[in-house]
Amino acid sequence: MVNYLTRRVLLAIPVVLVASFLLFVFVRATFDPTARLREGRGGVAAVARERDRLGLDRPIVVQYGDWLGNFVRGDWGESERTRTEVFPTIRRALWFTLQLIFWGVLLAAMVAVAVGVFSAVRQYSALDHSFTALAFIGLALPPFFFGLLAIEFLGVRPKEWFDLSEPIFYSVGLHSVDRSGFNLDYVRHLALPVLTLTVQIIAGWSRYQRAAMLDVMSADYIRTARAKGVPRRRVIWRHGLRNALIPLVTVMALDIGVLFGGVIVTETIFSVPGMGRLFFDALTAGDATMLTAWMVVTALFIVAFNLAADVVYGWLDPRIRLT
Amino acid sequence: MNGVRRGWFAAVFAGFVFVAACTSSNSSSSAERTTDTSKVVTDSGTLVIGAEQEPACADWISQCAGAVWGIWTMQEHTMPRAFDPVQIDGTWQYLPSILLVDEPTVELDDAGAQRVTYRINPEAVWSDGEPITSDDFAYTWEEIATGDDVFDPTGYDQIKGIDTSDPKTAVVTFEEGQPFGSWKQLFGADYGVFPSHILEGKNRNRQMKDGYDWSGGPWKIESWDRGVAVTLVPNDAYWGTQPQIDKVVFRFIESTAPLFKAFETGEVDAIYPQSEPAAITLIDDGVSGGQSLFTAETGNIEALWMNNARAPLDSVAVRQAIAYSIDRTAIVQRLFGALGVDEPMQTLNPPILSAFADTEAWAEYVPDLARVDALLTGDGWAKGSDGIYAKDGDKLSLTIVTDIGNQRRELTEEILQAQLEEAGIKLVIKNEKPDQFFGQTLYGGEYQLALVANVTTTLEPDLCAIMCSSNIPSEDNDFSGDNFTAANVPEADTLMEIVESSTDETLRASSQKEADRLLAAAQVSLPLDPLPNIAFWSDRIVADISDNPILAMFWNMNTWRLEG
Repeated sequence: MVNYLTRRVLLAIPVVLVASFLLFVFVRATFDPTARLREGRGGVAAVARERDRLGLDRPIVVQYGDWLGNFVRGDWGESERTRTEVFPTIRRALWFTLQLIFWGVLLAAMVAVAVGVFSAVRQYSALDHSFTALAFIGLALPPFFFGLLAIEFLGVRPKEWFDLSEPIFYSVGLHSVDRSGFNLDYVRHLALPVLTLTVQIIAGWSRYQRAAMLDVMSADYIRTARAKGVPRRRVIWRHGLRNALIPLVTVMALDIGVLFGGVIVTETIFSVPGMGRLFFDALTAGDATMLTAWMVVTALFIVAFNLAADVVYGWLDPRIRLT
Repeated sequence: MNGVRRGWFAAVFAGFVFVAACTSSNSSSSAERTTDTSKVVTDSGTLVIGAEQEPACADWISQCAGAVWGIWTMQEHTMPRAFDPVQIDGTWQYLPSILLVDEPTVELDDAGAQRVTYRINPEAVWSDGEPITSDDFAYTWEEIATGDDVFDPTGYDQIKGIDTSDPKTAVVTFEEGQPFGSWKQLFGADYGVFPSHILEGKNRNRQMKDGYDWSGGPWKIESWDRGVAVTLVPNDAYWGTQPQIDKVVFRFIESTAPLFKAFETGEVDAIYPQSEPAAITLIDDGVSGGQSLFTAETGNIEALWMNNARAPLDSVAVRQAIAYSIDRTAIVQRLFGALGVDEPMQTLNPPILSAFADTEAWAEYVPDLARVDALLTGDGWAKGSDGIYAKDGDKLSLTIVTDIGNQRRELTEEILQAQLEEAGIKLVIKNEKPDQFFGQTLYGGEYQLALVANVTTTLEPDLCAIMCSSNIPSEDNDFSGDNFTAANVPEADTLMEIVESSTDETLRASSQKEADRLLAAAQVSLPLDPLPNIAFWSDRIVADISDNPILAMFWNMNTWRLEG
């Protein structure tokens, strides 16, 4: 297992380097870090000074080398939009996004696996048909629409129906004013964004899980296990689910990595200052330094979760470790 | 078993309902019943306001502080300013603020240098107890006039020096022969006065960009949690009316629909949204548990801006034909009729500058298809079989652009499209993302027609900034000019330059009015509506709330109280 892991980590390093170089070049080609100085007093001279300071006239490979050295040392530069240090800004946004993703993935994985297994085991039952219909509805609901629906029917309306002094579930941020920590207030804030974030994921993952489970349950080794008298529950959970999880893990790893940059709609609707909103603000302001760091961090997470998926494969199927 | 599960779910939901019903975020230390509203008010509590834009930084001099919500959330509550925008007898004007003893004196010396003398209130102090002095005026001027990364040095760059020999009197002398007509916007407006004893010799941007703990206004910044909220607390050293509320929190909710939902759920006590259809619908339907206001007395002017340098709009006849094709009254009634705003603007000056505007300059431009035909035929155009005018084989087809996702503007475009088509002019809608529209297309002159608002944050006339030919982006001004329509009416230029430099208010007003008439005759662009300001607040707030076109609904927040 150690050799397997080492191999995977070593393979990931060049992937990260190539991805970071390409992202650096793309951002440099698209955004000008000195643009904010153009309209200021002494604009031309100020732009020239800033170009000199940032070394923008040097070859792109040299610029990337400098940037990479600083990045590894934790010096990620200063935002052109807010003049704040990029590293703590991204670290803070990442923390907000991680919370959404952690609870979202936990909820989605539990629900999707349960629904997928149940639908496969009770194929064509009334509940299977119901879950199928719900999955298609979930897939058809874009987050920006579902989020507003959730606020209306789980926030605004219940407050009116029950004549409450506060909504049951909040729609702004992850805490009320002057509150912090893991408590009921946090749960009441977290409920709607997590639901919004996961409704499409649950729908998608449950369909994958159902299909994989159906495939596995018709395999010869399952039939053999049943013929040998292994209890049905043990066959499903021990032999069926474990093997049916492998394709789902691939999808989950990709989806989770993408989620780090893809929560922009959920974060915007629920005013969570995470990675999605940071990206949107940086993009609209042409904040090249922030964008470069943001994209590389997101790429790192995508690579990291694919690495994690490889590890899980190895655990689920020992044959993979040997190849 | 299923019954048990349903029971469990019902119990959890009931628990949430119970918690929501029992908890209250408001605390009160003392309470009294007001005589006029019969409400029990408290001398403490926390007020939460939804802010739809977060400023990038709080260094008001720097270019990063361009967001208007920076003024509304922090600047106006913490920075002392020389003048307050006040409405008297229906006219908005600058009056000396509590920072000054009286109206500053203005004089021209023998050499033609303008001199303004500010007498500072002896009681005016910073939050640390240090007096506000003429040194603070001098420091403010030097930072704005000589800094590298300055939002807008206009006026400060014409100051020659400030006499600080008397700490409580600042004598500002302008360069000889360069009087500055809009001098009342100095040491106020977007900047205020900065504390020299705290900032002198330090990197001002580093000290202020993330917020600051000093203040010369009624409130102090307690914290700025980026992306989440700005929290203000009373400045105990303030020499004016002390705030009545313990804490004001501006929560950043940057999307329109969630902002309204947050107000409806009671998560925020007040919002000051843009005049979008959702806001107008909410006012029309009635605000449950709250109140609202709207006013057309704003610093906004939404117009159909025309690129005067781009064919076929480089022809006055074509621009006039467009103006005679459009029923502006119908557009305004469709957009804001529910608010009682149904008359189009007849000047490119916003309503708050009506004292400096000919408010009937564009009045002659009403729908008149016969005039359209005469103008276009006279310019060489002829109507084709498809009903669209054409010249030398080219159809009279124009492209309009605005920011994607703005429902009000998209609706306006659809109305314009229908009206122009009826007159024989084809209109193609090609909207763009806000960053591209504002960042490149508009100021790069890469458009024909644009739908956007010009927002004024001063009570001083400033139409020259967007209409004087010297401000057309060019090499001469490092492409930083704001005349994005490339309007070029030399006679109007001369008059607007008088408005900029004269200290004679009567002359400034008459010059701008005459300039308005010349701009209207050339039909440089077409004014549409005043873009009303709208505010909503919950019944929790006990206050005399009204709108201020510069300082928004928050101008007297230190007098607000909360229901106990």
